[in-house]
Amino acid sequence: MTKRRMFLRMITASLLRRRSRMLVALLSIGIGATILSGLVTIYYDVPRQMGAQFRNYGANMIFVSADGTSLDAEKTAEALSLIPKEKILGATPYRYTSAQMVRNQLSFVAAGTDFEQVQATSPYFMVDGAYPSASRQVLLGKEVAKTIGAKLNSMVEISWKPSVTEASGDTELKPGAYLAGSAEGFNSALVYVTLKLGDDLSIAEMTVNADSQTAEFGGRCAEESFTKQFIGKLIPLTAGTDVDAMTGATVTSQAVVDAVNKARPTENAQAATGNSLSLQVTGILDTGGDEEQYIFLSLSDMEALTGEQDRFDVMELSVSASAEELEEYVSQITDKSGSVSARLVKRVTRSEAAVLTKLQSLVFLVTAVVLLLTMICVSTTMMAVVTERRKEIGLRKALGASDSSIRLEFLGEGIFLGALGGLLGSVLGFGFAQVVSVNVFGSSIQFQPLLLPLTVAVSMLIAALSCMLPIKRAVQIDPALVLKGE
Amino acid sequence: MLFRMIRGVLFRQRGKMLLIAFTIALGASLATSMINVMLDVGDKVSQELKTYGANIVVRPRDSSLLSDIYAVEDGGQEIANAWLREDELGKLKTIFWAFNIVDFAPFNEAAVTLPDGSAVKAVGTWFNHHLDLPTGESLDAGVASLRSWWDIAEGAWIDEQSESAQEQIMAGLALAERAGLHVGDRLKLTGRSAEKTVTVAGIYDAGGAEDEQIYAPLDLVQYLTDTDGKVASIEVSALTTPDNDLARRAAQNPKALSSKDYETWYCTAYVSAVCYQITEVITGSVASAVRQLAESEGTILDKTQLLMILITALSLIGSALGISNLVTASVMERAQEIGLLKAIGAHDRAITRVFMTEILITALAGMVIGYFAGFGFAQLIGQSVFGSAIEMKGLVIPIVAVLITLVTVAGSMPAIRMVLRLDPAEVLHGSKA
Repeated sequence: MTKRRMFLRMITASLLRRRSRMLVALLSIGIGATILSGLVTIYYDVPRQMGAQFRNYGANMIFVSADGTSLDAEKTAEALSLIPKEKILGATPYRYTSAQMVRNQLSFVAAGTDFEQVQATSPYFMVDGAYPSASRQVLLGKEVAKTIGAKLNSMVEISWKPSVTEASGDTELKPGAYLAGSAEGFNSALVYVTLKLGDDLSIAEMTVNADSQTAEFGGRCAEESFTKQFIGKLIPLTAGTDVDAMTGATVTSQAVVDAVNKARPTENAQAATGNSLSLQVTGILDTGGDEEQYIFLSLSDMEALTGEQDRFDVMELSVSASAEELEEYVSQITDKSGSVSARLVKRVTRSEAAVLTKLQSLVFLVTAVVLLLTMICVSTTMMAVVTERRKEIGLRKALGASDSSIRLEFLGEGIFLGALGGLLGSVLGFGFAQVVSVNVFGSSIQFQPLLLPLTVAVSMLIAALSCMLPIKRAVQIDPALVLKGE
Repeated sequence: MLFRMIRGVLFRQRGKMLLIAFTIALGASLATSMINVMLDVGDKVSQELKTYGANIVVRPRDSSLLSDIYAVEDGGQEIANAWLREDELGKLKTIFWAFNIVDFAPFNEAAVTLPDGSAVKAVGTWFNHHLDLPTGESLDAGVASLRSWWDIAEGAWIDEQSESAQEQIMAGLALAERAGLHVGDRLKLTGRSAEKTVTVAGIYDAGGAEDEQIYAPLDLVQYLTDTDGKVASIEVSALTTPDNDLARRAAQNPKALSSKDYETWYCTAYVSAVCYQITEVITGSVASAVRQLAESEGTILDKTQLLMILITALSLIGSALGISNLVTASVMERAQEIGLLKAIGAHDRAITRVFMTEILITALAGMVIGYFAGFGFAQLIGQSVFGSAIEMKGLVIPIVAVLITLVTVAGSMPAIRMVLRLDPAEVLHGSKA
């Protein structure tokens, strides 16, 4: 017991009395440990942080319908749940349709989307003005704005017509159903009709859109005086017998009858008639890509326009995951979800994997080089501090201390310093990593609990190793020579 | 006498001085390699980011909207009324930032009909076009490098240097599966104004809309549509500096800048400046930055550089403290010697001079060794990470020299002063310090 107390007393006395030297040694170990824990923390955190930066490139996965139709909102949500929630930075649904500017009849691609998600999946979108935040607001692509001469905060009116292709699927007529149809009229321009069926499956309501026809002739087929002839009749009808042609508009009249006969059930009134909306321009979009030729509405406005609910064409996803993880999600979704097909945006995923690997190996090598050099630096300082104490070693030997007890004592001192410096360095290093993370990536870093014992252990090891050589040399030398100072 | 004392120390206390020189060499090599890597990392990462493809698109001034929107509605019949000239492409390498333009390819799209009657989009472009520039340089440009993320599922890229290149096409994977195309198949393509029998040279998997298309040499598509020498768009991949405030203002209207700002902007490789210069040399063109790439590239470059700067700062502080620590320790160790010199009547200044000279000579030796070691470390990092050498900037030598000298002086001076203040008798007796 006394022996141990003596050992402790010698170490503490030496540390306290030779304060300045010990401070030098402690400082150097502390620096080494700071660099060690700081760099290793950064090294572990860089892939995560850098990976997040790479999400600036936008969506790296898309969902499309497996059978070439549109995506169902419920099925899409199911597929989305197969990817861990915290990995999904953004999931933006897009519903595309073709819309016309009422003012000049130019056609554009209109996209209905969720603007909050757009900012997550396409952070590179440059908006002059602001994203729409309320309903009845619109974001215009730069080219669209240029073509129609729209300014910020001006109003634009867009109209939408049901698709020209015949509605497919269910052809069975039900009471109260909406029907829509179109047929070629004068000059091969299309005439649209919308019908609502009564309880006996006869036509209860009917509207005609003949805007494409000459106003004073065919255009008049939209008037009630013409359409009322259809009410109460059963489809199909025959021109001439069931319905009298409009004077001076035989072609258009025939087209309306054809359209009625070809009419197919649609889901709702808008899908049958077409619709128009007046929207306020809140922003103009600059991307340098095709998006500049689109107009963007909120999903609810899109629903108001087309009447279709909960259906998307594409869902863009920005998923923060490695290439392998992404592949896995894709195959999981393909296995489990029949109607949703997930695809990787190869340009983004490939390039990201390539560049990220390089960046990671850069940080790795830099860390390795810095650590190697710092550790050598620390051990030279320790060596210098111990070498200086050769006289003390000589004196102790002269007083009869055994080699092993001297070694043990000096090593104990070194290891104690190592532990203290390691602790100090762990704290400082974490602080440094935190500063780097906040400054570079704007987010805080996670504390790696494992790193604390590692740093302390490495510090102790280096301290011990660098003490060993000078002690060994000092012990081997004849005390008389050492004391004499040679 | 000074000379002899110094030589005496350098040779007699070889071990100690070697240790100091070694530590300084370590610090210097750390500083050299880290500063060099830091200064070059922007260029290197920027080069890596080129795998994302072109970041600038050049289109004719008036037709961008017309061709893109109506091409669909008019059943693939282009009504684009404006074109870029193919013979002007070489001019891209004559702009102020010519050196930063790493790759480019012209594009010309057309609807062609396959033998089975189906219509597909054929994209005419360069694959590995060899270009001899007026400056005497030569360059291989084209989609083989611009579309680095494409997988070649079958066959190979078209080699434009081969004889039969003008009769070869590459087909997208989805199209090939649908139409049953394989490498080596011959098929007749019917364009708007001519037809030609071609061979499938390769099938690519692009993971996008291109999988439904045909990629063919530019001349072939021009022949099919009678648009000789005309180009619909050019994609340019350029190394650019991340945008700042000035660049954003300039992008709005360069003419509105003051002449000094204009000069700064024009002579910096901002994507807007490069676009502006391209517009200057290509007749009737408008060059726009692909925001998806330009913006993200800027963020990633900024972050990487900042990260490297902070790591460099940490390692510099580390090595500075390490060196000054060791120097302090070594001076204090020699307290007795200083005491002895004082006891035999040496002036404080003389002692300081002798000690400082010794230490600085040692530091110089360490620095020289350290610089070359650092050179090695920097190249090790450059070669193993980026596969290319790190450019060693001359600027680094004075920086490292000043830094190490300062650190050495800062480490030794206070220590010498402290020892000098002590009473020689006490020092020699060994009771102090």
